[in-house]
Amino acid sequence: MGRRKKIVQECEELMDEPEQIRNIAIAAHVDHGKTTLTDNLLAGAGMIADADEATQLVMDTEEDEQERGITIDAANVSMTHEYEDENHLINLIDTPGHVDFGGDVTRAMRAVDGALVVVDAVEGAMPQTETVVRQALREGVKPALFINKVDRLISELQEGPEEMQQRLQDVIADVNELIRGMTEEMDDIEEDWTVSVEEGTVGFGSALYKWGVSLPSMQRTGMSFGDIIELEQDHKRQELHERTPLSDVVLDMVAEHFPNPLKAQPFRVPRIWRGDDESDIAEDMRTVNRDGDIVFMATDIGMDPHAGEIVTGRVFSGTLEKGQELYVSGTAGKNRVQSVGIYMGGEREELDRGVPAGNVAAVTGLKDAIAGSTVSDKEMTPFESIEHISEPVITKSVEAKSMDDLPKLIKTLQQVAKEDPTIRVEINEDTGEHLISGQGELHLEVITQRIQKNQGIPVQTGEPIVVYREQPQEASREVEGVSPNRHNKFYITVEPMADDIVETIQRGEASMSMPELERREALQDAGMDKDTSQNVEHIHGTNILIDDTKGIQHLNETMELVIEGLEEALDDGPLAAEPVQGALLRLHDARLHEDTIHRGPAQVIPAVRDAVHRALIDGEVRLLEPIQDVRIDVPSEHMGNASGEIQGRRGRVDDMYQEGDLMVIEGIAPVEEMIGFSSDIRSATEGRASWNTENAGFRVLVDNLQREKIMEIRERKGMKLELPQSIDYI
Amino acid sequence: MLTFIGLGLWNERSVTVEGREALRVADRVFAEFYTSRLAGTTVEALEAHHGADIEVRDRAGVEQDPSAILDAAEDGEIAFCTAGDTMISTTHVDLRVRAAERSIDTRVIHGVTAQSAASSLTGLQNYRFGKAVTLPFEYAHGAEGTPQSVIDGIEANRERGLHTLVYLDIKVAGSSPAGPAEGESDEYMTADHAAAALARDWDEDAVGVAVARAGSPEPVVAADALGVLGEREFGEPLHMLVIPGELHHLEAEALATLAGCPRDVLPSFE
Ligand SMILES: Nc1nc2c(ncn2[C@@H]2O[C@H](COP(=O)(O)OP(=O)(O)O)[C@@H](O)[C@H]2O)c(=O)[nH]1
Ligand SMILES: [Mg+2]
Repeated sequence: MGRRKKIVQECEELMDEPEQIRNIAIAAHVDHGKTTLTDNLLAGAGMIADADEATQLVMDTEEDEQERGITIDAANVSMTHEYEDENHLINLIDTPGHVDFGGDVTRAMRAVDGALVVVDAVEGAMPQTETVVRQALREGVKPALFINKVDRLISELQEGPEEMQQRLQDVIADVNELIRGMTEEMDDIEEDWTVSVEEGTVGFGSALYKWGVSLPSMQRTGMSFGDIIELEQDHKRQELHERTPLSDVVLDMVAEHFPNPLKAQPFRVPRIWRGDDESDIAEDMRTVNRDGDIVFMATDIGMDPHAGEIVTGRVFSGTLEKGQELYVSGTAGKNRVQSVGIYMGGEREELDRGVPAGNVAAVTGLKDAIAGSTVSDKEMTPFESIEHISEPVITKSVEAKSMDDLPKLIKTLQQVAKEDPTIRVEINEDTGEHLISGQGELHLEVITQRIQKNQGIPVQTGEPIVVYREQPQEASREVEGVSPNRHNKFYITVEPMADDIVETIQRGEASMSMPELERREALQDAGMDKDTSQNVEHIHGTNILIDDTKGIQHLNETMELVIEGLEEALDDGPLAAEPVQGALLRLHDARLHEDTIHRGPAQVIPAVRDAVHRALIDGEVRLLEPIQDVRIDVPSEHMGNASGEIQGRRGRVDDMYQEGDLMVIEGIAPVEEMIGFSSDIRSATEGRASWNTENAGFRVLVDNLQREKIMEIRERKGMKLELPQSIDYI
Repeated sequence: MLTFIGLGLWNERSVTVEGREALRVADRVFAEFYTSRLAGTTVEALEAHHGADIEVRDRAGVEQDPSAILDAAEDGEIAFCTAGDTMISTTHVDLRVRAAERSIDTRVIHGVTAQSAASSLTGLQNYRFGKAVTLPFEYAHGAEGTPQSVIDGIEANRERGLHTLVYLDIKVAGSSPAGPAEGESDEYMTADHAAAALARDWDEDAVGVAVARAGSPEPVVAADALGVLGEREFGEPLHMLVIPGELHHLEAEALATLAGCPRDVLPSFE
């Protein structure tokens, strides 16, 4: 039997034993070593050839497999690992390192039960570490810690045992502070999830030189801290690797400390899924029932040159099989599963027998699925919406340089949007000038590079454009909206919504797709009064429509149209046709024509749209701009210049402190002003600064820039260059 | 002076003599055909027959921007025409109120309307009609199936023993976002479509009366169970549908004799 076949067989056997499965992600700040570590684990588990020890694979694999075997840059990999006489199937889902890709991280976290947090020993926990750990905990994913690049402490920084221990302790303390802070309020998590060396939930070592240690491993190998320092100092890394291989230490930790699906799904399902917990589907998911209804959550969409689109995700219940007709959340109709498989190493292996609950599956044929979709055999409440985590704040136009590439570019853009729901794509076939929106300048740059390099389509991009919002600043008076035929009237007010409620909606904790009672409770918990929460008629973006009317005949069947008018008004706000956010709208009264035809779309939609706009204006609607948290790490001699880069951008420096031999500057700045920051900070600090930004929501634009910015946007959009007279406060 | 002229039901000859004379003396003639239209003629034939240029306004040109009409009426003889009667079902009272607000004199010249044809062609007594309803195209009212208010309207009438006139939706091309686009052909709901919808969403055994091309030389009037009517065809537009309530014996006789209703489906005709 060929080696590959053997591995397939091994994986297949493990697939049916949920106790022996671990679904995990690695979470790390950029460059802290996630990729290096992943390669290492795969090589250690014998799933791929390692540059140095390629022999084992070469011996018994066919040539083309070898070739394919090295493409481990794939997002998703699986490996087997024997621990305490039991074999384990470890499915690893990749998470992107840059926080600009926050949506991807959350999605990956939803599919796993354990997160290995990797922290660079020299740099320590960074803001992105914090973000990913938060995201993991929010999804009910259990953390463990691996402190990487310990070789640098020894060989480069020449630290002694005490210094080193202190440093490692600090990292552990930082991470634990985070974990404690987040898990304290989670009553569904009873165990103590903080990590500790004694418990064996902390490992350290070097992904580059492939050695690692933990307390259990030191007890097993009998190696002391001193031994390790000595060997590393003498650059005897091969020996270190052989005596205490990194992959064993890490994979043992995974097998021992991360929950298997049987243990994880009962507490994770209520946390990540808002459907009825008394339903059969809920029961099937809690018990990882392979014979139950099919529930699959897509985390990632990839392209295979032969098989086409590959949807990767977690099977929470039932068994996915070829030929099934499945619903895809958010789309009409069904998709037919063309093939189902699992990962082996970085390779996909199709399995006709199907993939049961508890596993990570790779599926083809789900043409309507996007990353984040819920796929099921019965119509069901989808997994919590994930878009809210990171709404796009910046837009760029993309055009193919050559006419011949037009169709290919459209296809690629559509693909990009499917793979990464934090990206929005607007295709304009008439002008050929398409728009992509994303999380930041860098995010868009990465995407355009992907299009240029991976797809080989030369493109031309426009100047980045920032996405704004509009929000009322105070409660409006009651406004009357009249239909064109004057037979219908709507009475509407608007008021700014409390931040807590906005956040509740953003986190997906209150939505129209959840049972009414639950939504009511969530809104009340966020501070909404009881009566209001009972009258919620619609949620659009972070805006809520309250129906305060009583017993109006025909309003029921007119409500759909009211909502249509409302959505139009909120999508294109009155100031600059930017989306409205955080508005609480109340419908107080309505007068309707007796006959359906005289209260049809042509009457109701414009009446409501107009009323909402006038109410927003009466509520002093203002333009909001996106802002970012900025952190710069820089040698102290460049500190002045670096902080100047924030202050010079309408930014604010909030904190400056020493960390190691670097100064850390923390502050905020508008996204618009941050365009071009990358090259400016480089020249301001002779390239010595490292920096990081994270979207921090929207803020009212200062008064003296309101009119100018509004006009600029209106001009760009080809709108009238005068504001309605009622906007006299700007 | 603004004169509202009902053009009647079918073609250029359906207008009253008084209406024809008012058209003749008008300085300008406006018309709208988005609420209903004269199925037996064209605007050109109307113009030729009455020797007038007719300026056809779309919905926005009447509802959102009536000023062109009103401005002209301030110092001229202006006619504003619709099919049927200008004030019944089409409800242009708003335009008349606006004119009055601007101190423009107005006058109404009645036209024969679907409401009266429904009564006179079916033999159902006008005293015994309740509230009328309109059945919109599914795509036009923002929900699925037959709007509950239509069914409620019919049932409320029937509880009181009253008949219901069901107007059928018209979508003039280019006049509404959900309807056929400019340049496509207009869409008229047919009586069989309406009967089938009500049979599906309400009661297939209830009796209905289809009325097609009222006002034309050869109108069709057919009564039967809604389920059966839904399977038939009644030809060219326009159509309407009547749902009888309790039947007076002579009404039942009329439906059987004049509308070919099978006697066994008439509940009060033993
Ligand atoms: N000295 C040292 N360098 C490492 C170690 N792990 C990774 N690196 C280096 O750090 C850089 C970033 O690593 P990578 O795995 O790409 O990080 P990722 O961005 O988290 O995937 C690369 O240049 C690696 O060679 C380590 O343990 N020791
Ligand atoms: Mg990497």
